[in-house]
Amino acid sequence: MRVSLNWLQDYIELPTTNVEELTRALDMLGHAVEDVEHYRADWTKVIIGRVERIEPHPNADAVRVTHVDLGDGELQQIICGAWNFDEGAVVPVALPGAVLPGGFEIGTRAIRGVESHGMICSERELGLGELHEGIMVLSDDSPLGAPFESILALPDVVFDLEITSNRPDAMSMIGIARELAAWYDLEVTLPDWSLATVPGTPELHVTIAAPDGCNRFVAREIRDVEIAESPLWLRERLRKAGVRAISNVVDVTNYVMLELGHPLHAFDADRIAGEQLNVRWAADGEQIVTLDDVERTLVTTDLVIEDADGPTSLAAVMGGARSEVADDTTRVIMEAASWNPATVMYTSRRHDLRSEASARFERGVDPNLAPHADDRACRVLQDIAGVTILDAAIDVVANEVTPVTIAMRLSDVTRLLGDDFTVGRCATLLRRLALEVTVDGDQLDVVVPTYRPDLTRPADLVEEIARLADFDTFGETVPTGPAGGLLPEQWRTRRVRDLLRGLGLYQTVNLPFVSPEELAAFGQLDDTGAVTDVVTVRNPLREDQAKLCQSLLPGLLRKLRENRNRGADWVGLYETGRVFFAQPWTDDPRVPEQPMRLAVAVTGPYGTNRLGASPPEADATTALGLVSALADAMDIPVERVPATPPGYHPTRTAALVVDGRVVGHAGELHPDVVEQFELTGRVAVVELDLDPLVGTTPPRQMDPVSTYPHVDFDLSFEVAQEASAAQLLTATMGASELVEQARVFDDYRDADRGLRAVALRYRLRATDRTLEAEDIAGERTRMIEQAAALGATLRGSE
Amino acid sequence: METTTSLTGPMDLTEHLNAVRDAALRQIEDAADSDALAAVEAAVVGRDSEVAAARRGLGQMPAEERRDAGRLINEVAQEIQAALEARSEVLAAAAQSARIQAEAIDVTLDYQAVPVGNLHLIQQVIDEVSDIFVGLGYHVAEGPEAELAWYNFDALNTPADHPSRLGMDTMYVDYGNPEDEMNLRSHTSPIQARYMEQHEPPVYIVAPGRAYRNDTIDASHLPVFHQIEGLAVDTNITFSDLKGTLAEFARQFFGPETKVRMRPHFFPFTEPSAELDVSCFNCDGPGSTCRVCKGVGWLEMLGCGMVDPNVLTAVGYDPDELTGFAFGMGVERLAMVRHGIDSIRHFIDNDVRFLEQFRG
Repeated sequence: MRVSLNWLQDYIELPTTNVEELTRALDMLGHAVEDVEHYRADWTKVIIGRVERIEPHPNADAVRVTHVDLGDGELQQIICGAWNFDEGAVVPVALPGAVLPGGFEIGTRAIRGVESHGMICSERELGLGELHEGIMVLSDDSPLGAPFESILALPDVVFDLEITSNRPDAMSMIGIARELAAWYDLEVTLPDWSLATVPGTPELHVTIAAPDGCNRFVAREIRDVEIAESPLWLRERLRKAGVRAISNVVDVTNYVMLELGHPLHAFDADRIAGEQLNVRWAADGEQIVTLDDVERTLVTTDLVIEDADGPTSLAAVMGGARSEVADDTTRVIMEAASWNPATVMYTSRRHDLRSEASARFERGVDPNLAPHADDRACRVLQDIAGVTILDAAIDVVANEVTPVTIAMRLSDVTRLLGDDFTVGRCATLLRRLALEVTVDGDQLDVVVPTYRPDLTRPADLVEEIARLADFDTFGETVPTGPAGGLLPEQWRTRRVRDLLRGLGLYQTVNLPFVSPEELAAFGQLDDTGAVTDVVTVRNPLREDQAKLCQSLLPGLLRKLRENRNRGADWVGLYETGRVFFAQPWTDDPRVPEQPMRLAVAVTGPYGTNRLGASPPEADATTALGLVSALADAMDIPVERVPATPPGYHPTRTAALVVDGRVVGHAGELHPDVVEQFELTGRVAVVELDLDPLVGTTPPRQMDPVSTYPHVDFDLSFEVAQEASAAQLLTATMGASELVEQARVFDDYRDADRGLRAVALRYRLRATDRTLEAEDIAGERTRMIEQAAALGATLRGSE
Repeated sequence: METTTSLTGPMDLTEHLNAVRDAALRQIEDAADSDALAAVEAAVVGRDSEVAAARRGLGQMPAEERRDAGRLINEVAQEIQAALEARSEVLAAAAQSARIQAEAIDVTLDYQAVPVGNLHLIQQVIDEVSDIFVGLGYHVAEGPEAELAWYNFDALNTPADHPSRLGMDTMYVDYGNPEDEMNLRSHTSPIQARYMEQHEPPVYIVAPGRAYRNDTIDASHLPVFHQIEGLAVDTNITFSDLKGTLAEFARQFFGPETKVRMRPHFFPFTEPSAELDVSCFNCDGPGSTCRVCKGVGWLEMLGCGMVDPNVLTAVGYDPDELTGFAFGMGVERLAMVRHGIDSIRHFIDNDVRFLEQFRG
């Protein structure tokens, strides 16, 4: 909402015109000042003159020689190329020495042998508008010889306000005047909407067949209309408000909308078929050509105004081409109707026809304002164009709206705003908003005018009291509640992220939308190999991004590729985020399953970079190592078994098992998927549910730390190619209670001989004694037996 | 050894031993390294040394001379031994020093570049804000992102015909019972409603997470972004509590000199509602040519207000017993303002050259 300070002062005597102070007042009233524009006369030495005589130019056909009275009775000779005026026209004249917008200087010069002492100006030359077909013709009573800017309400300041969606009333000059009146405790002067009328009844019958869509329909018939340009003052006000001037009738509808906040529509009365208008819901598929000459297809939630020939207006949103006011219009139906806000919202958005009018109707225009707005429009048109107005008005009321009374207790206020508020203070503040307040002990009965539909409950009035009390006057306190804190799984999640940071990986944030191809790459598949349990966005940004991801990997792989393409030698990224499955969620079966996942993707040489030696290229073993680090750091045992999930390399991938449940996978990207995501080489990937990893376990009890010496020895076993080293390790370790540590230190493969040998190193230590040679021998034997049970034979033993 | 046998008297012996000692000390002093010193040691105190020969000569001496002679020999032997040890220490220290010099490295060079990753800036801000509120007595709550419209809108006093519910603002998903409208949560506020439903008052929570809007990506919009919701509901929460809490947050997040101001605003789920501005941390206030606040002196930071009684009623709380406040802030906005980030796109571009900048 653009508010001209000069215009505003028609309705209120402000105590100040200081821009900073008014900005603060408007801000603190809740009408945020987004911008302040200063309007000044961007010229010098332009004065008002009257063209007394016009003669042809002796040497040029395109221009004329004018003689202009500049208020001193003497005539100045000025050459003019415009033809839109006759003798007697009052015009702005740039005198010799004038400087026009853009630094354009005017002097005395000869044009084809005839001297011109200055220039008669067009709108564009003065920076007041786009019109350049002719010069500006001013009203006849403009003061000759006066500076042109004196009739322009300059200088002026325009405040561009953000009006919140609950305040239809504040979308008007009167509304802002009321707000400032409440702030400064002033009176508001309403505009004059009294009319001089002639006897007569409009030749029009109005009905509302859709009472749930239209609250009220008010109309007057205006005769003797002559379509013309509006006077300069009105066009100037529209210009500052950001509304284009069109013609007197249309300009008046806009002017009154800006002034009072009620949109209006002018029909050409002679283009309404059958002298009837009816408001009804559109039929599905019904068509209408709107003012902008676009044929629109309607649905049943659109509201139309129809005449005998069918729909003539898309109600509240845009008039129809068929009944619009045109240059030859002489009889006008001035309509002020108030519509259902939701209907206007849906219709204006669906047809992409949002306008100044729809912005007001959406907020909910007061139906009781309709007759005043209609009268005011007629009055202004009468003032500027001398039209005739019939005394009988049409007023069809479908839904009567009456003021509500809110019963509020003082405690409603004090419990939120503090004990500084007394009944008296509350009443005083509310009355400044023109609310009627009756006080009875600690209770206030408050009658709210119908132009404030946002006030229905005590809580709404509390806000008004707080607002007028000035938010800046409230103190700052901090409540003392119970102790806060992170839950164990929350700080354990932070540890996961810290670990990954220490491992050189970067956390990313990705959009969870994927294409069908990306979804299929890692999706949850049914027996036929099709992706199941997909959650689809009904109104996606892009049709190829309509699926919610079932894996974080597509998002990560895109970013892996983009970083690679930017020249990164290696990239290691991870994300923690939700994935989506169309199955009831255990946390709340009413919504789809959406567990938190952790996914990692690494490609290129990854690890400590020694001078002169690149670290090895990331591959499946990188992924397995990361899983081990996560498992160790979080103290969650993670078992790995060979697996072939979609998207992963079938012989280099492990399922991750926690408590007997598969919680994710780690390994390498399938070569086909590497290609699909336009990557190269090998890509290490890990993805698992976050919850099992950060889930809490009972507090650890200490294992004794032995002070006795240890004994180390190695065993090397020949095993099958597909054997599990972890299984061998676990089994042999389980054979002795003396094993303190054990690890696999070599995995030797000789493909030609079909040989695989796994070498393990054990550290044995007792908690109560120094181990003797015979202790070791016994343990060793039992370990070899356990290995044999898995089909592993001690090397060099046969 | 011919010479030893010629030693017949004490005076001769003394002179001889002095000469032996002087020669030995010279040789020791001349030993350039530990190998040379070992050779000298063998020569001067070894089996074939003069000292050993002198000892062997003792047996042939008359008994009355033997005692003094033995003492003389021992003194010389000890002196030589001490010199050997001293020289050995000097040589060892010199050798150590040479070795240390030889193994010098350029400490300005990364011989081993250990990769260090980073948390996403959004995560860092979420953690930091959460910690500030944990310090003020809050818990951190979470909730689903594919959410029932009931929690996203209705429970938050947002009626069915509110513009924010239209498909051009809110993304809807197909799932479950068609009557239970389901959307990708358009803010983190539904977590409020869910938390209150599941917990008895008092409630003090912050709820960080992703939110979704049907916005095309540009320099200031993302279809998926992050918010942190805050909620305090107790028996005596006032408007001043809201202001004081957010002022404390602003001071911790933007610096101890930060001021806040609240301006009335409108949100369906709070009444009164306000926008919170924080004083610009980059300039001295209005009128400057500050790039952060554009000379306004204030930065629009978040929306907040006192919890609307309808919201309390919707979750089964008694609005006559309880009051509360709520606030919601955009994580991207906090990060962009504080770190001078020129486009919100950086957050989802995940360019490592961007990600690695915000460490510490």
